[in-house]
Amino acid sequence: MIDREIDETLKRVSQTPHAVEPVLLGSIADSVKATLQPVRCLPPTWILACGLALLCAAVAVAGAARAGFYGVEKMNSLQLMLFFPVLTILIAVAATEFVNAMIPGSLRKLSPSALLATNCAVLVGVLGLLFRDYRTEHFLSAGIICLLTGFLHAIPAGLLCWLMLRRGFAVNSVSAGLVAGTLAGLAGVGVLELHCANFEAAHLLVWHTAVVPVSGAAGAVLAWALRWQGGRIAEASAQRTPMS
Amino acid sequence: MCPDSNLEMLMARYQEGDFAAATALVEGISPQLHRFFVAQLASRSDADDLLQETWLRIHRVRHTYRSGEPVLPWFYAIARHVRVDHYRKAIRTRVHEQRLEEISTAAATVSGKGRPPDDLRDVLAPLPESQREVIEMLKVAGMSLEEVARATSTSVGSVKQKAHRAYRKLRETMSAMGSRKGQSGGQA
Repeated sequence: MIDREIDETLKRVSQTPHAVEPVLLGSIADSVKATLQPVRCLPPTWILACGLALLCAAVAVAGAARAGFYGVEKMNSLQLMLFFPVLTILIAVAATEFVNAMIPGSLRKLSPSALLATNCAVLVGVLGLLFRDYRTEHFLSAGIICLLTGFLHAIPAGLLCWLMLRRGFAVNSVSAGLVAGTLAGLAGVGVLELHCANFEAAHLLVWHTAVVPVSGAAGAVLAWALRWQGGRIAEASAQRTPMS
Repeated sequence: MCPDSNLEMLMARYQEGDFAAATALVEGISPQLHRFFVAQLASRSDADDLLQETWLRIHRVRHTYRSGEPVLPWFYAIARHVRVDHYRKAIRTRVHEQRLEEISTAAATVSGKGRPPDDLRDVLAPLPESQREVIEMLKVAGMSLEEVARATSTSVGSVKQKAHRAYRKLRETMSAMGSRKGQSGGQA
């Protein structure tokens, strides 16, 4: 059998008329009519993505303003000129992907896992290139503090981003949660780079970068838990509803 | 099937609260979505339920459609979400009832008792779910590769790969069916 024959078979079966009961169509139209009102459409993707990126930047600056801008003060001009533009690009890409995840039928350029992996790889590459202090002092204790600081700042960033896109609709909530977590994690990295003056390469590569996957995983787990909870509630209400 | 620009116009009017546009969309899109559910091996009554549920969701999130974007992928993305949700609920219900049979076994019984035969469903039955939906959207709904990628939240490359694998599987199945038919014809 060749592809043309398969095409012809599919064409033949697709041309057979497929009718839906008029009663069913009528009841759908009636249910639509009951609550039909004009709605305000979501703004274009670029506006929403810019809004999300600005939110992340605001959380990063606010977090660093509270803790102190020690990191950015210690950076040399090359580190300043290279790291923050790269972080901005990563945030812009993640924000666009988050908007796409919240609007049905959007074209996805990166899968959520590829987005997370790309972000981690780019951060490791840039940090490894710019920071060449290979000492490791207080690796674990200092690292855990930074990971926690970054993650604790990622939480408000994630919440604000979700609030901004609350009118969206995620067709796959877990993957949307992973993307939102990745974006929020990048805001957390922003706080750390502005605040943390520990420029040991190992510290930056492991603990600062780790904020992104940790935050991404937290976003995915939270979305999964919410979906599971929603399913349980819907199931319980369906069981309570008497059968007609 | 309505042309895409007409659907876009109807969608814009539906968002403005025009009931005639909403009815036209319900009548124009529903058979396509219903066929999509039936092709995914749902029974006709399940497909009816899924269609109603899909329209409830479409109505609730109609503001997420932006003019200028392709309409069909938007509808299909929501329909697909409803189908996956339904599948999850079915699994949970089966767990509660402690039924041990596999849901896929039940679903894959294409010519089961009490189910009217459906050509499209028969043709696509040998395919796994992900490939079946891609072939249905590409060849039956007439969507482009990019539109299918939008509807399934994947990349164009992934859609191409699934279509290629589906065709390979269909070739094998149809060849096997052809040779069986030939053998039985020879014996007769």
